[in-house]
Amino acid sequence: MVDPMADAPLLDIKRMSLTYATQRGPVHALQDVSLAIPRGGAMGLVGESGSGKSSVVLAMLGLLGQGAETVCDSALFDGLDLRAAAETLRGRRIGVVFQDPAAALNPALTIGFQVAEPLVQHRGLSREAAFARAVELLGEMGIARAAQVARAYPHQLSGGMKQRAVIATALACEPELLLLDEPTTALDVTVEAQILDLLEELRRERGVSMLLVSHNLGIVDRLCDELTVLYAGRVVEQGACTELLGDPRHPYTRGLLAALPRVDRGKMGRLAPIPGGLPDLTRPIEGCNFEPRCAFAVAACALPQALRAADGRAVRCHRAEEIAGQPWPIPEAAADAVRPEKPLTLLRAEGLTRSFGHSSLLSRLSLKGLKPATDFKAVDGVSLTIGRGEVLGLVGESGCGKSTLGRLVLRLLRADSGTLHFEGKEIADEPPTAYRRRAQIVFQNPDSSLNPRQTVDEALRRPLIRFGLASGAEATKEVERLLDLVRLPPSYRQRYPHQMSGGEKQRIGIARALASRPDFLVCDEAVSALDVSVQAAVLNLLTDLRDELDVAYLFISHDIGVVAHIADRIAVMYRGAIVEEGPAREMLMPPYHPYTEALLSAVPVVGAHGRAASRIRLTGDVSSAPGTIGCRFAHRCPRHLGATCDTVEPPVRKFGEGHRIACHLTPDELKAMPPALAAE
Amino acid sequence: MRIPRTLIVGGLVVGAICLLAAIGPWIVPFEPDAFSVRERLLPPSAEHWFGTDEFGRDVFSRVLAGAHHSLLMGFGATALSLAIGVPLGMIAAFRRGWTEEVIMRGVDLMISIPPVLLGLLILAVTDPGLMKTMIAVGLVYVPIMTRVSRAVALGLLAEDFVEAARARGEGAFHILAREILPNAWPPLIVETALRITFAILLGSALSFLGLGPQPPDSEWGLMIAESRPFISEAPWIGLAPGLCLCLLLISVNIVGEGLRDLLDPRLRGRGHG
Amino acid sequence: MAGFLARRFLSVLFVLWAMTVLVFAIVHILPGSVAHMILGEFATDAAIVELEERLGLNQPLYLQYWHWFTGLLRGDFGQSLTMERPAAPLILEALGKSAILAGISIVLVAIVGISLGIHSATHVGTWSDRGLTLMQYFFIAVPEFFWCILVILFFAAWLGWLPATGYSPISEAGILGWARHLILPVSTLVLGLIAHISRLVRSSMLEAIESRYVLAARAKGLPERIVLRRHALPNALLPAITILAVDIGILIGGIVVVESVFAYPGLGRMLIYAIDNQDVPLMMGGMIVITTIYALANLAADILYAVLNPRIRVSGTAG
Repeated sequence: MVDPMADAPLLDIKRMSLTYATQRGPVHALQDVSLAIPRGGAMGLVGESGSGKSSVVLAMLGLLGQGAETVCDSALFDGLDLRAAAETLRGRRIGVVFQDPAAALNPALTIGFQVAEPLVQHRGLSREAAFARAVELLGEMGIARAAQVARAYPHQLSGGMKQRAVIATALACEPELLLLDEPTTALDVTVEAQILDLLEELRRERGVSMLLVSHNLGIVDRLCDELTVLYAGRVVEQGACTELLGDPRHPYTRGLLAALPRVDRGKMGRLAPIPGGLPDLTRPIEGCNFEPRCAFAVAACALPQALRAADGRAVRCHRAEEIAGQPWPIPEAAADAVRPEKPLTLLRAEGLTRSFGHSSLLSRLSLKGLKPATDFKAVDGVSLTIGRGEVLGLVGESGCGKSTLGRLVLRLLRADSGTLHFEGKEIADEPPTAYRRRAQIVFQNPDSSLNPRQTVDEALRRPLIRFGLASGAEATKEVERLLDLVRLPPSYRQRYPHQMSGGEKQRIGIARALASRPDFLVCDEAVSALDVSVQAAVLNLLTDLRDELDVAYLFISHDIGVVAHIADRIAVMYRGAIVEEGPAREMLMPPYHPYTEALLSAVPVVGAHGRAASRIRLTGDVSSAPGTIGCRFAHRCPRHLGATCDTVEPPVRKFGEGHRIACHLTPDELKAMPPALAAE
Repeated sequence: MRIPRTLIVGGLVVGAICLLAAIGPWIVPFEPDAFSVRERLLPPSAEHWFGTDEFGRDVFSRVLAGAHHSLLMGFGATALSLAIGVPLGMIAAFRRGWTEEVIMRGVDLMISIPPVLLGLLILAVTDPGLMKTMIAVGLVYVPIMTRVSRAVALGLLAEDFVEAARARGEGAFHILAREILPNAWPPLIVETALRITFAILLGSALSFLGLGPQPPDSEWGLMIAESRPFISEAPWIGLAPGLCLCLLLISVNIVGEGLRDLLDPRLRGRGHG
Repeated sequence: MAGFLARRFLSVLFVLWAMTVLVFAIVHILPGSVAHMILGEFATDAAIVELEERLGLNQPLYLQYWHWFTGLLRGDFGQSLTMERPAAPLILEALGKSAILAGISIVLVAIVGISLGIHSATHVGTWSDRGLTLMQYFFIAVPEFFWCILVILFFAAWLGWLPATGYSPISEAGILGWARHLILPVSTLVLGLIAHISRLVRSSMLEAIESRYVLAARAKGLPERIVLRRHALPNALLPAITILAVDIGILIGGIVVVESVFAYPGLGRMLIYAIDNQDVPLMMGGMIVITTIYALANLAADILYAVLNPRIRVSGTAG
């Protein structure tokens, strides 16, 4: 007997639209979104912030708040009408994993209780039986000492462990469909890789269907068979993942891929940014809503565009075939500078160390039976040099001390020990004004980096006056020059931060740093808060500025892809120390420090789907063990040699020019490592 | 910014009361302190809008003449707590280390005393009077103001634009005047507006207990206290100043909460004590 | 946890000691001699000398403080000047009466305030929520002493249902008579506080309801009742504990006022009496006792907070 339902998709949503009522009028968050996921299939839902991708998940579950109105032709889950049945399906047959595990777990309940809760509710298990099953589930999710973890509260676990617990909860009642909303976005890349492995294994072994919502094309490519690209509430392209990413047809998809800095391609010339920003969703748009940003737009784009399906692909663009041969245009570099092979040393730091302690007297108070809180070494004896006009990329996971190091070389934080030289002159703890003028900083968060009560003009004029560079009409001219430098029109002088987009604010932050004509910039995660399409433009800008002005950057980022794109040399930081440093092109190939190897193999790369890259996985996370002697990476190192690693400080091995690795492995062993990135 | 209607109405009422208080002594229909034995305990009428008290004094005139007390206590005391608390809080946030430790432990100590008790303690040993009450109430709220302004300053000091100013080597004065204060005033204004309600409440309670302005002054709390023996035969003597006080307090409170919703939406509905 | 408690306890001891210094300093260092304050400005020099000797006021200040402070530790608060009896038993008796008032009030405030807050938060935008919000505005702003006047006017003077003033022990008047004397003072005390706490609980409950963990609990398919009770409520009540502690401070202020209006023989009325009659030992003793109660109440709130909050109760990492 053939089950007629067997071929029907597990989830089938046809033409779902969603409107939010706001003070500015209704926002059309989703328009005619259709999705189908077969049994055991995995669909990726990709889009930048504001595309409406997370709303899809909430709308399917019926968990949108007040003021949201959903309309759709049909929404079926295994033949059941989702609109009526969502409440009974949640937690039973559909599991959900939300973005930030720290926020998704209730701080007042134990992990075990929260994992067991759906079992008690839906399966009618007793508390004890459910708890025992929760411990099993946690174990299945790769948590060691699951019984102990089950009795712990969320604040006692690391981010990766929390996300495993959330996944365990979602899987408790063995659902057929798992909805994953940015499941790894809050996590470090090595932990992200662990979670992605876990999800892959769950798909393989349990046949769970998945809907993976993400802004990261790389992780979608790793996990999914099919892909839906969402732009401003509309599906612009749909199809099999490999084909779609290998041969994108909609201009938006093509733009996204062209804007993506890719670690597997190393240092590219330039990225292709997508100009402009999201359309105003309160105004209904008849024609293509990507038209204002599209490089291929013509007059006919103002007409309504249908999602045209052909050979398993669907594209919402009437010119898709016509423009297939034309690449997404890449703006020309402003200047083509020839860089000297060995730049003159600009900045040299030696043995910089900084600890953080507890400032309150009471917490320092040593009581009977209580240890006073110990200090934590954020940066531990770091030395680095940066040449004139050189970009040194500094990579590391959260908490490794990279931002602290950035502030130490600017003397914004007082170092406990170590020296700093700039152009051969020693820079004291309280640096002279001249050093302040020549060494500046660009911040991560565009919202916090500008004073909300100052206009662009005030923000850019202040450094000119402070350093006596210009005043009056001359300063006005200089402000306009700075705006031109960051590709903004002079009319922006009168704007306040809240009148600009994130990318524009970031440009002003860069212009402010450049106002004093510095020779050295610390870029602290300067593009991390931006969407890919905007990030590309800012990265291009930084590259151009370096070429035009010969500024050196200390480019700090957790994203090795971005660093590989922009840096001449890369330093990898782990728990307060640099474990490997070398020219950018050499860093992406063996020999590696085992940590670099793990970082590189953890990066989800677009187009690596199905290709076997060596998978080095770290266990635990940065905080998972102390250890004050020996190699600081020893407790997580997959190439751990034994007691030597735990007790002896590793020697620095030198390869080629300026490539240094601090590791106990012999140079030959290091050289013999397989490449961590899959070659194209 | 859309200004909510309740805020406008509240603001208008507060403004009207302030105006009446300012011109009150000149527009009173009767001399507020003039005794008139034949007109004792008269109920409200066209001539005596709020009636007369046990000495035949016109209650309406007394309420009008006494209005400035409550306002002075509310605004004056709050201004005092602002004038001492904000600099202390800013210094604590700026200097950190020992300075902060000393200031904040002092604040902890002051906060461990129930507000009324601190007021009583100060008033018990000095001769009562409007200024004394105002100062006592102001001192009660200094620690809270210090805490709030320190928290505000600490939050702003962690912002990147302040770090950008430090990266330019800006002096403490520039950072305070140009980067911190322009951003600190919305939360401080909100706190101030909410604090005024409590300052009026505390001040008039102290007056009611006999620790504020003394008879024959017509402070509203004092008037209510003096009306107690006649509460059943001539309730208007106490009700008139009481209702005026309620009107003032409610409208000041509405303005405070309206400002909070307008300037600092994150704090919406938060308690204050 | 143990460290937290130990530190907290030490700081309470410090606060109490500092309070004794503060009270003593303000009373003794401010202009005007204590003897003058007691006897009035027309006292003869001989009378002043006699009184100063009797009270030990001719000794150096540090000695006076030392005698007073060690006396406090032994439970000796000195002699009441106006009643010519040891102050300690007087204070203790008044404290007992006030404790009845405060205890009933705080329990009422906690139960009614929290329930109303939860009701508002789970019925946002309905008429009952709007009505409660409006009442909160009103009750927070109306001073206690004015409430006193109003309730006395209505329930005692006009309706004659309840006694306007005084206190009857259970032993004399029975439960009913005892309760009849408490209804008016308690209800004037709690109105403002209930408004205050219910507002706070409403907003912290709303915050919890909008949190990701509540969304996650709904996504688990739990019924709304369990989502609210098990996931939102415990987290929403934590800030309520802190505010309840702040409210105890306001309650103390209210008690002083309410006791003096209702002629209720508690600590607040005694304190006002001592201030009016310049009974310095009684006044200083009363202040120290009230501060101690307040400090202990705050300590209790902190401990409760820590016990209910796993982030403080359980430290260290697992797994």
